Amino acid sequence: MKWLSLLALAAAGCATMGSPGEHAVIRAKNKVIPSLVHIRPVKETFASGQKQEYVVEGSGFIISPDGYVVTNEHVAGDSSLVRCVLYNKDEIDAEVVGTDRYTDIAVLKLKSSETNLPAAELGNSAHIEPGQTVLALGSPHGLSRSISKGIVSVTDRYLGEEGPRPAPYNTWIQTDAAINPGNSGGPLVNLKGEVIGINTRKLSGADNVGFAIPVNTAREVIEAIIDHGYVPRSWIGIRLQEMTSKTDDPTQRGVVVADIDPLGPAAAAGFVPGDVITAVNNVPIHARFEEDLPPVLKRIADLPIGTPASFSVRRGEETQAITVVTMEESDYKGNEVEFSEWGFAAAGLTPAIVQAARLPSSQGIVIAGIEVGTAAAESGLRQGDIVLSVDGKEIAGLTEFQALYDEINAAAKRLVLLDVKRGALTRFELLKLEPGADNDDATPEELITNEENGEHPDEDE
Amino acid sequence: MRTNSLAAVWLLGGLLTGVAAAPVAEEAGAFSPAFIASQQKAVAPAICLLNFTAEVESQRTGETQKRSTRALGLIVSPDGLVMTHGHMQSDKSTPSHIRVIVGEGDEDKEYDGVILKKPDDINVCFVRIQGEAGERFPFVTFASEENLVLGERILLFGIMGETLDFARGALTRGISAVIEKPRMTYCIDDAIPFGYVGAPVIDARSRIVGVVGYDLTPAEGGELYVRSGHPLVYQAPLFAKYIQNPPTADALETDHPIAWIGVFSQPLTDDLAEYWGLPKNGGVVISTVVEGSPAEAAGIQRGDVITSFDGTPMRAKKNSEIVGFTKLVRETGVGREIPVKLLRQGQPLDLSIVLTERPVSAKDAEEFVEDTFGLTVRALTTDVRILLNLPDDTEGVIVRRVKSGSWAHLAGMRPGVIILRFGEYPVTTIAEFEDAVNKAREARPAEVPVFCRAGARTGFFRLQPRWD
Repeated sequence: MKWLSLLALAAAGCATMGSPGEHAVIRAKNKVIPSLVHIRPVKETFASGQKQEYVVEGSGFIISPDGYVVTNEHVAGDSSLVRCVLYNKDEIDAEVVGTDRYTDIAVLKLKSSETNLPAAELGNSAHIEPGQTVLALGSPHGLSRSISKGIVSVTDRYLGEEGPRPAPYNTWIQTDAAINPGNSGGPLVNLKGEVIGINTRKLSGADNVGFAIPVNTAREVIEAIIDHGYVPRSWIGIRLQEMTSKTDDPTQRGVVVADIDPLGPAAAAGFVPGDVITAVNNVPIHARFEEDLPPVLKRIADLPIGTPASFSVRRGEETQAITVVTMEESDYKGNEVEFSEWGFAAAGLTPAIVQAARLPSSQGIVIAGIEVGTAAAESGLRQGDIVLSVDGKEIAGLTEFQALYDEINAAAKRLVLLDVKRGALTRFELLKLEPGADNDDATPEELITNEENGEHPDEDE
Repeated sequence: MRTNSLAAVWLLGGLLTGVAAAPVAEEAGAFSPAFIASQQKAVAPAICLLNFTAEVESQRTGETQKRSTRALGLIVSPDGLVMTHGHMQSDKSTPSHIRVIVGEGDEDKEYDGVILKKPDDINVCFVRIQGEAGERFPFVTFASEENLVLGERILLFGIMGETLDFARGALTRGISAVIEKPRMTYCIDDAIPFGYVGAPVIDARSRIVGVVGYDLTPAEGGELYVRSGHPLVYQAPLFAKYIQNPPTADALETDHPIAWIGVFSQPLTDDLAEYWGLPKNGGVVISTVVEGSPAEAAGIQRGDVITSFDGTPMRAKKNSEIVGFTKLVRETGVGREIPVKLLRQGQPLDLSIVLTERPVSAKDAEEFVEDTFGLTVRALTTDVRILLNLPDDTEGVIVRRVKSGSWAHLAGMRPGVIILRFGEYPVTTIAEFEDAVNKAREARPAEVPVFCRAGARTGFFRLQPRWD
């Protein structure tokens, strides 16, 4: 049989046949690639004070034969239209079923009557280990149907709650498979062709440091979005730190209360920073290192909303039970609305903004963007300002502001006074509205006529 | 320190009246070589070279890094008062080891220099030459008025680089803009080499009308110019009072207390007046009243419009005109009852207010350096509370510097963090912080949790000192 083994050797060296490793890679690729989706959402931004649309490129994958598709929130969120290009190059639009900013997951539904679409198989991210081979599939820089290969570098990287995109509820799979802009939302798969993660982030300025959301985190979020359109979570208004932030003593168990939202339920219930929570509803919790925080945070988020929960708290030498009635967690970014007649876009306040701005209540709106050449731009209003009242009337939120805005515009008022908070200071900002100035329908002829009549729009009445 | 002879020569050279530039008038337009030469002969001896160590603060740790640097100095009095540009000293940079080199080439002479307290209303610094008792120096005297006009030519004398042996040079420039508000400002039409920053500016009538500067200070409405980077003429009346009455060397001591009212304000624009149904006469709209301030004590409220302060009518209609109010407040006496006229909801109201001394600002705050953990902290001051929008009940000390490689550095602490508790001890003052550190030093714990505020959030840093 010596000739047989010689033949095998020859085959191994043959590029067209491939190595056993290559076989596995190709098999895994073949299994998952029909589910791959190139996603081109038309997104909306209000940063310039008016609604602007732009197209981004991203990735996703089909998870059900009837056309549910998973991608990132930062790909498909805030979009007016989502165009999907399937692996067979069919172009189908999708509706956004729901998004979750905290985990950066979006679920789409293809607008197709097809019931036999190729769904990817979701694996188990609890069973991965550093060093195992993984493939990243997607559309780096818009180049669809791309595959890159690497290994799992770390299974439980903690990226934390800080920064513009907090991720409190999950750790991340770190991989050295090439992840580029456009890979976002695409699957990270094992050699069985099972999805173990959703490629989401990369460390800029570094080589081969990419991050994927573990599929076990994603699975629950996807189910919640399909059931509710969003992920309902409980909130009590505390920030937690790992035990090692206070002590390295491994016998000290629990999690440290680092910060308390002054307007949240935990503050009302009497929590103080430095408290150590040892159990929630009598079930012990423990986070020695920061990687241990997401499950603890998720435990609190999974408490029933609006019901009392019992926290066992160690304060100094004493242990006590504190009962907190949970609230529903709000999105960390409020919805943005454009107020074009005044020249800005604004969003509702979130607990994070209220806390950062040191507001006495959650009443008001925050300026999301100022449009150049408008009344808002002419006034001293700035992005990030918090508007507390309009013409002396306090604003509860975006809905109330919208009503006042409509009322004032209908009355064709020339001057509108905003009470604004900027950091520790308050200011008066006067909007000088010019009725008709925003009228895009005005034809050149009309303008000429006005000038001939000597009716200058700036003129006082 | 090569020779003393030059100083004597200078003394004889008509310096009892100062170098008032040679009395040669020049037609507007290009300066003739003869004119330039005569001016140089008169003015150059008063130009000196300042060699000093700048201690520049690192953004990351707040630690200082030293580098050698230099600046042009101009001797402005016979007893050795030197004026230079304000960049010599700032919040982030402190000069030390100041050496003043008077004279040129082989005939120079080197002295120690002492920096004086920097004026806060004009961007210049003063250095006192540590000469021998009674030693006299060549100096310049400035014209008491300038009235430069657009397009007018000016002559500058400065210092060239090290490779050119710091030789004195001359440049001609023109006035490219004359800005009347918030105060008279003259812009120079072209870039200025480094060795000419702070240089004397001479007009066609041989008058030394000012020095070359950049950027006004915030106290004089400098915000408008801060990013301009445009060279200006600092005309003599702006700094004459400091030459007449030089600042002291003690950085913490002020020659006269600066008064504080404790409000933030904005101008009463015509539109705002129309909105509120007030006469369009301008005024100072109070937009924020600082807690615990004299304004609060006097009953001044947000939305009040000040129309007269200490008998001076307030007519601000533009942002730049608010400067007049802030300047007036600063220069008003502390402790005296001051009549204020205001409009509250359209109704006139007379109040009296007693201004207090301005609270200590962050740069003058009490500082404490401890070596065990590597922390330099400062007391929390009113300006920092406002800048960081701290909750009113925040009491602690703010980290100014973290020593590289220290336990604090290792724990991830950084400048700007406010320490609220150190171990088990609450920290509300420098003394309490010092006490808590001392107790830790005695007890030698394996770890010290430090509870801090960083921005809008609070949290813990854990120090792990190794005591052996």
